[in-house]
Amino acid sequence: MPGKELSSPCVDCHDVESILTVRSRRLCRNCFVRYAGGKIVRRMEKFRRQPKSSQYKLLLPLSYGVSSSVLLHMVYAQLERQRANTYSPTGFDLQVLVVEPSTISAFSPACEERFETVQKAFPAISFTQVSFHSIFEFDPNVLETLQEFAGSSFVDDPSLPALDRLEKFRRSITTSTSRTDVDNILLIRLVVAFAKASGCQTILWGDSDSRLAAKALANVAKGRGSSLTWQVSDGISPWGIEFEYPMRDLFKTELDNYANLFPEVKSFVIPDAPISENILTKNLSIDELMMRYVQTQGEKYPGVMANVARTASKLQASELRSGQCKLCGASTASAEGLTGGTTISEEREIPRFCLGCARSRPMLDN
Amino acid sequence: MPPTPCLRCREARAVIIRPKNRHKLCRNCFLEVFETEVHETIMSTKLFYRGERVAIGASGGKDSTVLASVLKTLNERYDYGLELMLLSIDEGIKGYRDDSLETVKRNAVQYTMPLEIVGYDELYGWTMDQVVAQVGKKGNCTYCGVFRRQALDRGAARLGIKHVVTGHNADDVAETVMMNLLRGDLPRLSRGTSIVTGSEASDIKRSKPLKYAYEKEIVLYAHHKKLDYFTTECIYSPEAFRGSARTLIKDLEKIRPSSILDIVRSGEDMATLVPPEVSGAKNPTAVARATEEETTGGCGSQNGRSSGGEMADMEKQLAADENAQSHETEIKLSDIQLPDGSVPLQKTTNKKTAKKPPQKGTPLGKQVKTQTMGKCERCGYISSQKICKACALLEGLNKNRPKTAIEVEIAAEDEEGSTTLMRQMERIQLTT
Repeated sequence: MPGKELSSPCVDCHDVESILTVRSRRLCRNCFVRYAGGKIVRRMEKFRRQPKSSQYKLLLPLSYGVSSSVLLHMVYAQLERQRANTYSPTGFDLQVLVVEPSTISAFSPACEERFETVQKAFPAISFTQVSFHSIFEFDPNVLETLQEFAGSSFVDDPSLPALDRLEKFRRSITTSTSRTDVDNILLIRLVVAFAKASGCQTILWGDSDSRLAAKALANVAKGRGSSLTWQVSDGISPWGIEFEYPMRDLFKTELDNYANLFPEVKSFVIPDAPISENILTKNLSIDELMMRYVQTQGEKYPGVMANVARTASKLQASELRSGQCKLCGASTASAEGLTGGTTISEEREIPRFCLGCARSRPMLDN
Repeated sequence: MPPTPCLRCREARAVIIRPKNRHKLCRNCFLEVFETEVHETIMSTKLFYRGERVAIGASGGKDSTVLASVLKTLNERYDYGLELMLLSIDEGIKGYRDDSLETVKRNAVQYTMPLEIVGYDELYGWTMDQVVAQVGKKGNCTYCGVFRRQALDRGAARLGIKHVVTGHNADDVAETVMMNLLRGDLPRLSRGTSIVTGSEASDIKRSKPLKYAYEKEIVLYAHHKKLDYFTTECIYSPEAFRGSARTLIKDLEKIRPSSILDIVRSGEDMATLVPPEVSGAKNPTAVARATEEETTGGCGSQNGRSSGGEMADMEKQLAADENAQSHETEIKLSDIQLPDGSVPLQKTTNKKTAKKPPQKGTPLGKQVKTQTMGKCERCGYISSQKICKACALLEGLNKNRPKTAIEVEIAAEDEEGSTTLMRQMERIQLTT
C-alpha cells in the first residue's frame, strides 16, 4: 500500500504493522512466526533429511499444554516442508503420545474430544493415547520398585484395577513436593517405556526455556543436581533413550503468543491454571515455587532466567560412579554416607534410591 | 499433654525441634549430635592432621564463635592434637566491627586461644568506612570481599599458619550454589561446594567444617551453649544475586527443611559435571583451586536490602548479546587455541558463512568461561588477571584520593577485568 504510513512497522520486514514486542523488537505476525520457528529448526537440524535406512523415529509427548502443543505445530510444519520435497525421504518419522490428563490429575478435564481435534489438525502422523496407570503395562518392573520405594506405606492389592492401584500408591506420599516429584518421574518412565515399545530413539520434550530454568533450580533444590544432564540438557537419559528439548531457546510467554496466532493450536490447548496468590509458600511444591520464581523474576530479568537453563546445559554427563537408582536411574552416590547430613538413624540403609528419590519416600516425608 | 521425650536418649524432655529434620531432642543430645556431625565431617574429609596449626577466621558472629567452640570441644574430646588460634579481620566499620572485635577478644580469653587482628587500614590504607564514603553503599561488598580474602591469607602468613577455617555454614554454601547458577558462573559452581579450597600461590588452605551445619542449628547451638557472640549484621548491604538466592533458600526451607542440605549435595554432584576445561582442576572434588572465590559474593550479611543492580546489569548484558546474535553479523570469540596456547584475535564473520550446525550441548554463540592462574604483578597474590582484584580496586580508589594518602603506586592501566568491576570503576571516575 504505497503511501500508507505505518505507525510502528515491523523491524524485520519494514512492510507491515508490528503486532508484538519480542525481546525488545517490534515484529509483525509473519516475522514473529519465522523467528520462533527458526529457533526450533536450528535445534532440529540433526533430524534433516537422511537416507531412508537411518531415518530417526521421534516421540513427542503431548500434554495439551501450550509448550508441547506449539512444539507439535512447529515440528509438524517442518515435516510438511520435508514431505513437500518428493525427491528425498523425510529426516524423521513422528509419533505423538498423549497421557490422558484426567488420569494424571483429577483437576484436568477428560480429553476425548481434544484427542479427536488434535488428530484432525495434524492428519499425517500417528497418535496414541494412554492412561497414566498403563505404566504397569508398559513398564512391568515399576510395580516392584514402587513397593520397595514406599515400604509399608503402600500395600498393593492386585485385585484392584490398575487405576486404583496407582492412586493408592500416589496417596501414600503426603507432601506436595514429593508427590509432584514422584509423578514427574513416573510420567517420564511411562513415556520412555512407550518410546522403547514403539521403536523411538529420541523423545522431543516441549519444555520452554522458562520451564527448563525452573526445572534446573527445582532439581538442584531436590538433591537431583546430577540429573540436570538429561532433565535440562539434551542428552542420553539413564534408560538409553535420547532426550531433546528443542524449545529451549523460546520463553514461555513467546510460546503463549505463538499459540494465540494459530486457532488450530488454540482449539486443543488446555489453558494454564492462573497462579493463585493466596497459597502459603510452605504449601507449594518445590516445582511450583521455582516455576513462580522464574515467572516473576523473568518479567524483570528474562535473560538472567534464560541463562540458568543455558548454564545447566553446559554440564557434562559423567559415567555412573556407583549404583543406579531403581526409580529414576540417577547415580546413588549422592545418597551414600550422608555424613554431617543426618546422623541419627534414618538413611543408613544401602542406597537403592538416589538422594532425590530418597527424600520423596513416604516415611521420610518432612 | 505430657512432655515429649527426647528422640535420642528417650529420657530427658525434648526442648528442641531440629531445623534439619524436625527430630525432637533434649538440650544435651542436640549439642552432642551437632558436635558429632561436625566431627564426622572432619573425619570423612580428613580435614586436619595431628599437630597442625589452624587459624579460625573469627568475626565475633555466631558462625565463627560456634566454630571456635566446637573445634575446641572436639579437639579435646577426640584428641585431634591441633593448635588452634583466632584470626580476625578489622574491616574498619564503626558501630559494627569495633564492637564485634571486642567479642572476639573475650572469646580469645574464654577459649584460651591466641588472637591476631589484621586491619584493612594497615594492609590497604583504606578502612571500609572510607571506601563507602568514596564509592557509596552500592557495590562496596565487592571491595570488602576481595580485601577480606587477601587479608585472611596475609594474617595467616604472619602467624606462620597454613590452614584457615571459616564459619561458612550449609545455608551459605547452598546460597552460593544457587547464586552461581543464577549468575551462570560455572567455574565457581565447580569449586564453591568443596570443603577445602586451596590456592597455588599462597599455599594457605581454607576450609569450612560447618558446611553441612544449618544456620538455624548454629543459632540454637550458640544459644543453648550460652556462647558469647555478636548479633549485629553488617550495616552495608549484600549483593543482589545473593539476596535473590537467599530469599529462594528461605522459601525452600519452609517447604522442605532438607532442601538446604540437598542443594549442597546437588552442588557437589554438579561440581563433578563441570567440564574440566572450565573448572580448571583435574579433580574438582578433592581440592578446589579457589583463587578469588567468594570475592564478588560479599560477606553474606543477613539484612537482604539490595538494589538489584547486579541482576539488572547482567540482564542488560545478556539482552545485548542476544541482540547482537539476531542481527546480521555475529561477533564471537574463537574457541580455537593456537599451538602456543594463545587465542586468535576476535573475528567478525558473516552469519551466513559462519553458520554451522550447532554442536550438541554447546549453545549457540555462547562461550564457556575459562581461567588461567598467575600472580599479580603488583603484590604477588594469585590472580587470573595481570593484577589481582584487590590491586585493581585499590587503583580505582587511590586515583581519587588526595595525593598525600597514597601508599600503593599505580600506573594507569586498563585490564580486561570483570565487567561489573570495570563498571564500578567507571562510576567512581564519573562521580568525582
